[in-house]
Amino acid sequence: MRTYLIDSESNELIVDLTKTIKHSSKLVEYEFCSLVEGKTIHKESIFIRKLAGNYYCSTDNKAWSKIARQHIPHRLLNIDQVFKVYRGFKPSGLSGGASGELLTQMPGKVVKINVKVGDQVNKGDCVLILEAMKMENEIKTSVDGIVKAVHVHEGDALDSGVLMMEIE
Amino acid sequence: MNIRLDKYKSKRVMIVNRGEIASRVAKACRELGHTSVGLWTDNEPDAAHLEFCDEWVHLEGSGNAETYLNMDKLVDLAKENKIDGVHPGYGFLSENGVFSTKLSEAGIVFIGPHNEAIKVMGDKATSKKLASDAGVPVVPGTSEAVPTVKKALEVSEEIGYPVLLKAVAGGGGRGMRACQSAEEVQKQFEAVVRESTAAFGNGDLLVEKLIVNPHHIEVQIMADKKGNIFHFFERECSIQRRHQKIIEEAPSPFIGEDEELREDICQTAVKLARAVNYDSAGTVEFIMGADKKFYFLEMNTRIQVEHPITEEITGVDLIICMIQSAFGEDLQIPSQDWIKKTGHAIECRICAEDPITMLPSPGVVTGFETNFPQGVRFDHCLYRGLEVTPDFDPMVGKLIAKGLIRDVAIRKMKAALKGLYIEGLKNNIPLHKVVMDDPTFIEGSYTTNYITEVAPQDKIEKDINYVSIYRKLAAAEARNMGM
Repeated sequence: MRTYLIDSESNELIVDLTKTIKHSSKLVEYEFCSLVEGKTIHKESIFIRKLAGNYYCSTDNKAWSKIARQHIPHRLLNIDQVFKVYRGFKPSGLSGGASGELLTQMPGKVVKINVKVGDQVNKGDCVLILEAMKMENEIKTSVDGIVKAVHVHEGDALDSGVLMMEIE
Repeated sequence: MNIRLDKYKSKRVMIVNRGEIASRVAKACRELGHTSVGLWTDNEPDAAHLEFCDEWVHLEGSGNAETYLNMDKLVDLAKENKIDGVHPGYGFLSENGVFSTKLSEAGIVFIGPHNEAIKVMGDKATSKKLASDAGVPVVPGTSEAVPTVKKALEVSEEIGYPVLLKAVAGGGGRGMRACQSAEEVQKQFEAVVRESTAAFGNGDLLVEKLIVNPHHIEVQIMADKKGNIFHFFERECSIQRRHQKIIEEAPSPFIGEDEELREDICQTAVKLARAVNYDSAGTVEFIMGADKKFYFLEMNTRIQVEHPITEEITGVDLIICMIQSAFGEDLQIPSQDWIKKTGHAIECRICAEDPITMLPSPGVVTGFETNFPQGVRFDHCLYRGLEVTPDFDPMVGKLIAKGLIRDVAIRKMKAALKGLYIEGLKNNIPLHKVVMDDPTFIEGSYTTNYITEVAPQDKIEKDINYVSIYRKLAAAEARNMGM
């Protein structure tokens, strides 16, 4: 089965489960590989063993390490990326917005809007201040251009992924 | 006879807080034989701290202003539930003199210092004045609020750049900005006023000289109502980001073997506590320059996040002492000489944040597991399914490791970090791992500029670890197969 892992910046990881060998009721071997630019790489065998109610895994059937007990993962963590996990299908409409669209990266409250529609902004300008988790975050533009639309108001509480402003 | 009975009567303690500290206080109440009453709110019905509370009370409302900051409602709830004492934890109303006054007017004990101490120490201007009157060295700067940008610029000119803009009512890193030049003062002034008005309802600012390459060293104080004041040695909290601590140590590696300096800083802290007739747990924060001269920064009139490292090296339970002190009981500490420090303890704050940018990152914990070596303590509020929301601070746990010497504590911390698995939620464990391997940290010569100058976050390996991803997917497959 194919699994798609997609993070908030639309980085995509495709992992294929290519083989399943059931050695016993307590020991299963899986073979995974990843699809990068049409080529399959990082081929690895993973052994899973159940011991005292926990899952242990190994790459060589000799050295074992415990896997944190978790729900069937809908989210997977890799250092500073959180991937959403889609098993067997790839969702549509997940491509990143145009670079002139400012989306919230985390939920927060709009404290101050520094620009209005029609203003000229330069790359790196602070256009908006968003308060989240006890601190003020300056939201900066990544493009030069003119503010086309402001979709939020000061005091608004926003979810993650909300379109705040468009710059053309 | 009645007095004696009353003294040992089991009390009803309401915990006006959540998360890790609420669990910690509830466990202390259990140990003392008091009944702990925990609160839950509409936006956190699955509050994990309730696990340790004897009674659960619904605090209606969803935002913090409606719930944990709503003094009148909390006082009414306490009265309704026949509460004897209220423990505020840290943050929220822990350093709010109005709240403690309202409680005492209702005949309820506030588990913390007396109102006067909170008021004097909660205001940076008056605390600074009190400290200098008591003969405690203070940082050069204004002792009164600076009303305008113009005045702030004048003062900055006088004491010389870099300067620090500080909210009078601030704390925990909020409402503080460093400014290297006049332009920055101009730019930041309004932001700090806005931030502190929103957070503390007080937009007054102070201007202070910024000590370059400083060490943040604080002394733990514990006092009872009979005038006994004890110190519990110092903690070094120099590893900070955005003026918020992330790693703390006790004792300070910067003070090291210099027992004379240690005695001096600890006695100075006791002197200050005595000047306000202090009667609870508190922390006197100092800033220490490279020349080992120290200046009083502020006094926190509450239990602090990093209190466990002091508990680990002294073996005294500070939360229990705090409760005993509030109810006028004996602290069960015969004298200062009985408080000895042994070993070295390190605390890593585990936060729901991006390990590289260090920005808060809310999310859901999909997996959680611990596997620690001897000598490790983990105070936390984590569980599988926990949703970390932007309403609260991103700290989800405190990992504390203790060893006889510092090297052992570091070794144990490294092993503990390896044995702490949090899945599905971005967290700063990778950052802590890098810091524990960093030569500057191991040497113990870091300053508060560590995160910006040494930048351990740049050494975090970001590459995708395919095997680790395969492992997690394989476990999911196995579960799906019904294994």
